[in-house]
Amino acid sequence: MMTYLIRRVVFQGIPVLIGFTFLVFLMINFAPGDPVTHLRGVPDLDPRVIEQQKTRLGLDRPLIVRYFDWVGELLQGNLGRSFDSARRPVADLIKERMPVTILLSVSSIIIGWGVGIPVGIYSARRQYSLSDYTITFMAFVGVSIPNFFFGLILLYIFALILNVLPAGGYFRPGEDFTFLGMLSYLIMPALTLGLASIASITRYMRSSMLEVINQDYLRTARAKGLRDRVVIYKHALRNALIPILTLMGFMVPLIFSGAVITEQVFSWPGLGRMVIDATHQRNYPLMMGITLVFGVLTFLGNVIADIAYAIADPRIRYD
Amino acid sequence: MAEYNEEQILSRRNIESPWRVGWRRFKKNRVALLGAIFLIIFIFLAVFAPYLTPHDPTRADFLKRNEAPSAEHWLGTDEMGRDVLTRVLHGGRISLSVGLVAVSITMGIALILGPIAGYVGGFTDTLIMRMADIFLSFPFLILAITASALLGPSIYNVMIILGVISWPGPCRLLRAEFLKLKNQDFVQGAIALGAGHRRVILIHILPNAIPPLLVAATLGVASTIIGEAGLSFLGLGVPPPAPSWGNMLNSAQALHIMEGMPWMWLPPGIAIFLAVLSINFMGDGLRDALDPKQE
Repeated sequence: MMTYLIRRVVFQGIPVLIGFTFLVFLMINFAPGDPVTHLRGVPDLDPRVIEQQKTRLGLDRPLIVRYFDWVGELLQGNLGRSFDSARRPVADLIKERMPVTILLSVSSIIIGWGVGIPVGIYSARRQYSLSDYTITFMAFVGVSIPNFFFGLILLYIFALILNVLPAGGYFRPGEDFTFLGMLSYLIMPALTLGLASIASITRYMRSSMLEVINQDYLRTARAKGLRDRVVIYKHALRNALIPILTLMGFMVPLIFSGAVITEQVFSWPGLGRMVIDATHQRNYPLMMGITLVFGVLTFLGNVIADIAYAIADPRIRYD
Repeated sequence: MAEYNEEQILSRRNIESPWRVGWRRFKKNRVALLGAIFLIIFIFLAVFAPYLTPHDPTRADFLKRNEAPSAEHWLGTDEMGRDVLTRVLHGGRISLSVGLVAVSITMGIALILGPIAGYVGGFTDTLIMRMADIFLSFPFLILAITASALLGPSIYNVMIILGVISWPGPCRLLRAEFLKLKNQDFVQGAIALGAGHRRVILIHILPNAIPPLLVAATLGVASTIIGEAGLSFLGLGVPPPAPSWGNMLNSAQALHIMEGMPWMWLPPGIAIFLAVLSINFMGDGLRDALDPKQE
């Protein structure tokens, strides 16, 4: 298992991470306007002053050297300062918002797996029944509805018409923190973000279960006289789950994409909302910092998926 | 198959081509057929949008702002006094063409890089696959947002951005097909008979890799439409006043519009949903119909 993980993380993950940071770095450099641009507009300014400024800021050195400087700073947790008036360090801003986004993402993953897996199993066990067709159809609906539109409909029904849930935000200022209170803010965004996961996990779980259900070893298990529950949940489920775990790795970036837009719909004060605000304000250091963090989180999500995969599949563990 | 007599089997004309088999199976799949019919209706509405309503999709009329649906404006008017139905129809033109153009860009890139990776192999393959991994390690929307901020908002940039960042999926698919087919007997046979790389790739391998690519392209149009809608909803996609289904939904971010004027944001949302649903049904039907392992 260690060899497998080392191969995945070190030999595949690290080069990707380097390429990824380089791409982010290139984007910062292609962003219109560098720190000396405003000087060029000053009349009667000696061009040497601009050159001096460039040297002072290190902008005269080759791109690749600057990339390594930048990575060195990154490794020390320095992401530069935000362009807005407060000029706060980007790393601090991200640290404040990250838990809020993680809370939303993890809740939606729990919803996606918690609903998708049992429903997928149910559907597979009753293949070609009315409930199977209904579930398959609903899963198609779930992947076809844009999550922000689904979110808007939830908001419209539950916050505006029925007025039972708050229309957005994280918690009311001045209100004591209660678990139920937090849940009332979390439920709609988490469901919105989780819908696509529920739908796609249901579909994959159903087909994965169907592949396993007709195999000989399951017939053997039944022939031995094992109860149906044991056959399904002990013998079939474990094998059916393996392909679903690889899906987890693929879904991490999709969850973060969805989080950006879900946070916008529900005024959820996380990284996604911050990156949109930063984009509208052309706040490049903040944009790039958040992009980088999302990339690293995706990388970590994939590592977790790989570990889960290695634990579930003995063929990899003993490799 | 038993009903074919010997004469029919011997006659070449009665051998069904894979595409004919696919079409025969597709026709039997009612849901997929319904999806295809819906999609044709959507395309028809988009193409003939200018002739279907008497209104202009972009000209503001401040005397008719925020009107509820009526006989003259079937779906009411928006905050600029423009007819919502007209904008939904014209929005379809933009959303569908963004989907088609972006997917064509994606497939163009994938058709170059995928076969190279799969056929050449070795270091070239590793390089292309690591590049794909890098693109996949960005959440799709974050990359789209950043690119859109750097390039500036325009409908062409949206097409390019969505097209370029989607390349890894179909590229991996083509690579896998090429790897699989390269070692099959009929390809090895062609090579043994002296066929050049060009002939092997274009005549022997590529046609067999097309069906899964077609399925990927169909489903790709659906996800691109959602991607465009998302970007435009955030104000980073198709810029106003041109209507797209996504930027029409943008108005729902104002609570008074969301609560009091649902005719402004429900129709474009439903349009996205129905278009994407029909494409997904069609794509899924194509997948089943073109899969040689079925039956």
